[in-house]
Parts: sequence; C-alpha cells; structure tokens
Amino acid sequence: MKSVKSNQKQKQQQNNDDVSPFNFSKLLDPEASWDKDQLGDVLHWIRQSVGLICGLLWGSIPLVGAVWIVVFLALSSAIVYGYYAIVLKVDEEDFGGHGALLQEGLFASLTLFLLAWILVYSLAHF
Amino acid sequence: MEFSLSSFKYSDSLIVVLISICTAFLCEGISWILIYRTSSYKSLRSSIDKASKKLETMKTVVETTTKKTKTKKKIDRVESSLKESTRDLSLSKFKSGAVVAVVLFIVFGLLNSLFEGKSVAKLPFSPAALVQKMSHRGIPGDDVTDCSMAFLYFLCSISIRTNLQKFLGFSPPRGTANAGLFPMPDPKTN
Repeated sequence: MKSVKSNQKQKQQQNNDDVSPFNFSKLLDPEASWDKDQLGDVLHWIRQSVGLICGLLWGSIPLVGAVWIVVFLALSSAIVYGYYAIVLKVDEEDFGGHGALLQEGLFASLTLFLLAWILVYSLAHF
Repeated sequence: MEFSLSSFKYSDSLIVVLISICTAFLCEGISWILIYRTSSYKSLRSSIDKASKKLETMKTVVETTTKKTKTKKKIDRVESSLKESTRDLSLSKFKSGAVVAVVLFIVFGLLNSLFEGKSVAKLPFSPAALVQKMSHRGIPGDDVTDCSMAFLYFLCSISIRTNLQKFLGFSPPRGTANAGLFPMPDPKTN
C-alpha cells in the first residue's frame, strides 16, 4: 500500500514539474510552460484590467455611442491575442484553440467595462 | 470647497454599486460557510480537476496512438466519471443556492422600493430594443439613455460577483458545463 502511494506521489510530482508554478516573471517569458488553468486565469485578469481602464477612459473623455462597445471588444480581444500569440508564443491548440483563449473572461470584462463607462460618464458629466 | 455625494445628479448609482458589492461578499460568505469549506466539496473539486486534465491528456494520446479503441473506451469511462462528479458538485451546492437566492431576492426588492421609477445613471449609448426592456424598466419618458436600477444592478452582479468568485478561487472548474462564451457567476450560489 505504501509503495503504491509513493508511486502516485512521484507521478504527481512529475506532472507538477512539467508546468512551473505561477510567478510574475512567467508573464513575459515565452519559454515558460503554462497550465490551462494558469493561462486562462491570466487572460481573464488581463481582460478585466482592459475593461476597467477602457471604461474609466471612455467615461472621462467622454466617448458616446454604441460603436465604442465594439471598439472595446475588438481592442481587448486584440490585446489578449497579442499577449498569448506574440508575447507568450503559446500553441493555442494545446489550450483548446483561439476560441477558448479569447473567450476567457469576455462576458465579465464586458459588464465591468459597461459599469465603469456608465458610472464615470454619469458622475463626471452631469 | 465642500464636497458631498448630493452634488452628483446620479449619486444613486454609487448606492446601487455599494449595495451590490456588499451583497456579493455576503453571498460568497454564505456559500463558503455552506459549501466551500466542506470536505465533500474540496474532494469533488479536486476529482473534477484531475479528471479534466486526464481527459485532455488521453484525447491527445488517442490522436497519436494506434490503440485507439482501448484509449477511447478509457476516455468514455473518464468522461462519465467527470459528468458524475460535476452532477454531484451541482447537487452539493443546491442548499446554499436556495439561501443565496432568498438573499438576492430581498436585496433586489429593497433596491426596487428605493429606486423604482428613478433614473439612477445615464447611459453613454442608446441600448438595443431588447436591452431597453431592462435598462428603461419603470422609468417615465422616452429618453432611452435613462438607466434603471435593474440594469445597473445586473451589470454590478455579473462583473463584481464573477470577479470576486475568481479572486477567491470559488469559480467553477473549467471542466464543468458552466464554462463557455457567457460564463455567469456560479449559478448554484446565485
């Protein structure tokens, strides 16, 4: 029983060794290996940050019109794509394809963007 | 120079956001007490994560190996085990989901009584007809850029609770059916 358990632990150790634990230096390292969950989380938070920044910016200027929602979606998708394809150089097939990576945090970032945009616009310009 | 919230025409929007933030923390707190700290949830979560990863590895192997029939049978076994664990996870969240639903119902009722018929924010765009049903709900007049509490509360709920769940590590595992283009905050804790 003990030898079976220690074998299982060794296998788990090997699996864990293939993917390095997360640290901030991985964010800009194209040589780093990524776990699907780690990469998904990073892309999620990038989307949220872009959503918040765009919402604050669009509301401050202010930018008015539904077209700016489309601009935000295109911009945030371009940033996420640029990050995983150009900075990290990951093979999207290992992570479920472009669709899976681009949709990480998409809806939450859209609602966060709208919330920030509406709040700043309402409070700063009326 | 005096500064007060009442100097903002749409200061009500801040009250809606603040209440949403407090509600999000309250709901996650209830969920943590009733679900997340239990050993059954932790073990189910762990088994789903492991099964998802194993499934991915096996699907990669089946593309490269000649023993496809054997591997496919193994994949089917792991997939059905994953479905079972996902179902058990959903069931385990049912009790807390009911409590959280009651809390949300009460909060929405409270906000409705406070802000019914009032425009709490100004939209910087004209929403589509379908969205107007929520964004212009209960507001007199024809200005579609007047924003009702319901729409703002909806935006707050999705954005704040999704990110709070993500931050606290309570969002559903990627291997479950709750992933996709429009992942909502975990429905069993809604």
